[in-house]
Amino acid sequence: MHEWDFAATLADMDLLMLGLWNTLQVFVLALVFGIPLGLGLALGRMSRIPVLSQVCLFLIEFFRTTPPLVQLFWFFFALPILISAQMTPFVASVLTFSIQSSAFFAEIFRGGINSIDKGQWEAAKAIGMTQKSSLRRIILPQAVKRMIPAFAERSIELLKTTTLISTVSYADLMFQANDLASKTFRPLEVYTIVAVMYFFLILVFSQLTILLEYRLAKSGEGTMR
Amino acid sequence: MEYTWNFTSVFAYWNVLAIGLLGTVKLFIICTVLGLGGGLIMGMLRYSKSRWVSYPAMLYVEVFRNTPVLVQIIWFFFALPVLTGIEVSPFLAAILGITLNTIAFSSEVFRGGIQSIEREQWEAGKAIGMSYAQAMRRVILPQALKRMLPPLTSRGIEVFKMSTLASIVAYPEMLQQAKLIASYEFNPIEAYTVVALIFFVVLLPLVQLTYMLERRFGKSDA
Repeated sequence: MHEWDFAATLADMDLLMLGLWNTLQVFVLALVFGIPLGLGLALGRMSRIPVLSQVCLFLIEFFRTTPPLVQLFWFFFALPILISAQMTPFVASVLTFSIQSSAFFAEIFRGGINSIDKGQWEAAKAIGMTQKSSLRRIILPQAVKRMIPAFAERSIELLKTTTLISTVSYADLMFQANDLASKTFRPLEVYTIVAVMYFFLILVFSQLTILLEYRLAKSGEGTMR
Repeated sequence: MEYTWNFTSVFAYWNVLAIGLLGTVKLFIICTVLGLGGGLIMGMLRYSKSRWVSYPAMLYVEVFRNTPVLVQIIWFFFALPVLTGIEVSPFLAAILGITLNTIAFSSEVFRGGIQSIEREQWEAGKAIGMSYAQAMRRVILPQALKRMLPPLTSRGIEVFKMSTLASIVAYPEMLQQAKLIASYEFNPIEAYTVVALIFFVVLLPLVQLTYMLERRFGKSDA
């Protein structure tokens, strides 16, 4: 039977905390770039210009149906040769996950915007708003409220997918764990602690989501029954 | 700057890619069958009235839903052997990680589907003398399955994509084989592009199927 010994792992906890910090950096940046990009893709997809709509549809479907790990490898190993530029693991990670999650966010935006009653568009038009300003001032504020649960779910998914960046040697939590496991020869303890860290990190996020959904349900705009 | 694409260096290794595709499909079939089957059982346990059954099931689901699959696969590969003294092959580690994860996610689909069936259906089943198991099997599940079909198909697609994670423990699936080709021929652009396209071509029809199922079964009870 194995003797559990967490001492070696706990002694190097600062390594893991650094990894956690790096994970969160990529996560936040991917959200910051991914959400506006997703809105752009969704609007392009709904555009009446056939070419634009088809291109956006292709991009959305392509990034939704290919595995994120393949995308990451492509952006890290293939893209630098293609554009003959240096690529750091950090840039490749942020790039991949911004684009990948924007494809998913686009579908959420589209669903949310489509779910708003057509009468709202007509009402805005009736008081003389252009399409652009009615989208910005009437439709989106209502749609975003309905999209929040789906957004939160997708963000949690993104947080879990960021573990992949350890494969391109970016020092995220997973990478630091691999490092520490080979240094201490204590894979059981290291990976168990890391699993627990991820568990609580994601649990906090999902609890916040539930709280948010509950508040939205109270204001009559939620999706909770 | 101008790069000449050369796909012949990838297609020369088509047999290497074929082995990878086989590995991916093997993982996909095993993990989907075990994952959805286990998910059905776990979903029913979650739905159980006994707290001694439903609480452990809930704990299982939360643990596996709230940790990344990659952490699970690596845990099974590196940590489990230390704990049990049993050698874990890359194949087994990938199956364990992906299957247990799929069980957790699909059990929520099953539970939601079962809960969405009106109480009267249970009562009607009881009224004509059916036991709980009979009513579940013959009245509730057939109706619930129809509603669950679209989310379960998406789960299947998710499993297919997740299979690439097996490359991290060096199981020869498609991505791993592409890595191999790229390191032999120094053609990462072509190798990874081909793999991305294969995934796209295989999964796009499945995604379209999901959309169709959603339109047909999503809300209505057609």
